[in-house]
Amino acid sequence: MPVSRRGFLRLIGADGAIDGAFLSARGLEAHFAEAQAQGQGQAQAQRTRPVLPPGVEEIRISSNENPLGPGRAVLDAMLGKFPEAGRYPFNSSPTDSALMSALADKYRVKPENLVLGAGSQEILKNAMRAWVTPEKGLVTALPTFENCTGFAKKYKLPIVEVKVDSMMKLDVESMIAAASKGDAGLVFFNNPNNPTATVHGAKTVTDMVERIRKASPSTVILIDEAYHDYVTDPSYETAVPLALSTPNVLVARTFSKAYGMAGMRIGYGIGQAETMKKLAVLRMPYNVSVFGVVAAMASLGDPMHIATERARNTDVRAFTVKALTEMGAKPADSQANFLFADIGMPAKDFREACAKQGVMVGRDFPPHEKTHCRISIGTMAEMQKATEVFRSVLKSAMSTAAPGAGKGGR
Amino acid sequence: MLTRRTFVQAAGVGAAAFIGARGRENSLWSMIEPTLEAIEPGVICLASNENPAGPGATVLDAVKTAFGPVGGRPGRYDGSAGALIEAIAKKQGVKPENVVLGCGSTQILRSCTHLFTAKDKPLVGTIPTYEECAGYAEMMGHPVRPVALDANFKIDLDKFAAAAKGAGLVFYCNPNNPTATYVGARATRDFLAQVAKDSPDTYVLIDEAYFDYVTDPDHATHIPIAIENPHVVVARTFSKAYGMAGLRMGYAVGHPETIKKMAEWDAGGGTSSLNVLAMRAGIAAIQQDPAFITAERARNTEVRDFTMKWFADRGMKPTDSQANFMFVNIGRPAKEFRDACRARGVLVARDFPPFEKTHCRISYGTMDEMKKAVAVFEDVLKKKATAA
Repeated sequence: MPVSRRGFLRLIGADGAIDGAFLSARGLEAHFAEAQAQGQGQAQAQRTRPVLPPGVEEIRISSNENPLGPGRAVLDAMLGKFPEAGRYPFNSSPTDSALMSALADKYRVKPENLVLGAGSQEILKNAMRAWVTPEKGLVTALPTFENCTGFAKKYKLPIVEVKVDSMMKLDVESMIAAASKGDAGLVFFNNPNNPTATVHGAKTVTDMVERIRKASPSTVILIDEAYHDYVTDPSYETAVPLALSTPNVLVARTFSKAYGMAGMRIGYGIGQAETMKKLAVLRMPYNVSVFGVVAAMASLGDPMHIATERARNTDVRAFTVKALTEMGAKPADSQANFLFADIGMPAKDFREACAKQGVMVGRDFPPHEKTHCRISIGTMAEMQKATEVFRSVLKSAMSTAAPGAGKGGR
Repeated sequence: MLTRRTFVQAAGVGAAAFIGARGRENSLWSMIEPTLEAIEPGVICLASNENPAGPGATVLDAVKTAFGPVGGRPGRYDGSAGALIEAIAKKQGVKPENVVLGCGSTQILRSCTHLFTAKDKPLVGTIPTYEECAGYAEMMGHPVRPVALDANFKIDLDKFAAAAKGAGLVFYCNPNNPTATYVGARATRDFLAQVAKDSPDTYVLIDEAYFDYVTDPDHATHIPIAIENPHVVVARTFSKAYGMAGLRMGYAVGHPETIKKMAEWDAGGGTSSLNVLAMRAGIAAIQQDPAFITAERARNTEVRDFTMKWFADRGMKPTDSQANFMFVNIGRPAKEFRDACRARGVLVARDFPPFEKTHCRISYGTMDEMKKAVAVFEDVLKKKATAA
């Protein structure tokens, strides 16, 4: 159930004056949205935004977030925790170990099969720390979610990046080959894959795991299912049972996507206890806040919210795919809350032109940055506006590209 | 079960806003109540060195605002880390490149341990001290060199400086957790100079988690040294006097080169370890009227003096407490005392070897809580201790 803006504002005790404060908070957010100060130096990242004409609201479809947020039950649960803001997560009610138990119940496993992360990024980062060394490298895709790749590059660890196939799907055969030489510490398999939005079916994943395990039993396989809840392809199934039955295989999950809690930083890894032990020792203590714990607990108790969110996303995704196809763009098969489309122009030009009209789309994803753009799926209202913007941008690009092509350019 | 009534009673600061909210949207509360677990009514938590009053109205208002319109900010990645770094830099009189954020100071302590210790570069720490660095070093297989405290449970600076020679990192927790003792600013400066002279490659991590609670007149932050000396880092947290333990926010201040190394290894940000509510709360907390911290220190000092006197009057000697907790010789095993107190609704801290047979760490709650707690202590301590 989407939270109504009016209801929510009333809930938190807002009158007209506070509403203004909220709007300014949103302005502040927009101001710093690009300054995701994850590393030093980025703190001073670009803070300039195009000035939008009056009445034009920014549509942020750049980060694969759930545009509706976590839903009313979760927001209520968080508001109920204000009196415990000063308590450590192990002293709050529920405690962080209660969240572990709730997750364990969900999957019918033991808490030692699970490790909590400050977002699934902590799971990915610690998987790199646990299993990738100068002798045993990373096998991953290109393009894919960059967390592991970035870590390997920063520390000059060996890395094999396997390009996606012509359908923008992970090239499973080549990844198996790369992982089967005995010198791979970790395979990162993002399913659905970010940024291409494509998915592989359960049979393919099981087969891949079996073959890599057979050729190189010490290689750890990390299957990132961040977008699991958005998949509609009937051949897909979660790899959680596979991880629980197979040594050296784990699945990463997050509350940042369908659960709508990107801002709360909660994720987890799941696998055999022996596998998870290596991540458990690296887990940062108290990594999930009191608010995050209660939010995650409340959302686990509200499965209808996820079903509703998947249905909503499926509708809006179909609308967006159709609209883009009609404009001549070619989106890859999207099984997530974003899509990766061949727009026939550099992502940067498209992104900047859209931003001028208030629509923020995804960053560059080499090696496809000259032709493809990643677009997250917002609400239907947002996508109706956004596709109008896309149409005008693509149209003017075509009309300026044609004469330019004849002149040979600079 | 957290009922509406106990919730409002527990709310303390900010309760009025909730009562108001409840009045307007009564039905919303009923949706969540059945899913919450009990805060056992009346249990007094003196186990974790938290600020019992929480972060205060200014910060809670900022958290509320962070929910934003249309579904709420918790659904979005948040880019406030840069603004928080700037706010901290301004408050501490340093530049943004002197600051790195962490998910609590835990992340800071881990980064320093990871970067500055090695198999041949030990960690040096007192016994006992806050365990995060030593635990991480042991997990990494890096040696830990323990140094005993002096007779007053203070850091023995001569022994500490000697142990620092050739070490990778010295963890200098001041005030020290769990002993609550404090080394004056002048002696600390001398110690830093000594280490710089004797062992110039050794890093010193000064954990100032309890900085705001110190009443010793010879008190100053060592941030001015840290920003000049690449081998000195100061860790701070919002979990103590700022009352934000549940939000998870801390930071380090140091020389730009050192901060850069730390940030490259592991930095808190809106797409990594820092949640939106914590970042917005941190900005509000650091920018709020400094009277908040002054009042919290005064409140704590009053409770501290009351509690210390209570133990001293009964012949039990606490160390010189300069924090929001005390370390006291109760003449019996901490476990025995802890279990008996827990059975009566008061939670005190875990064991701290090598003093677990005689000493207990007790955090200060509110005055009201401490008055109830000492009645429990009286009851528990009048029973003869079993042989240790």
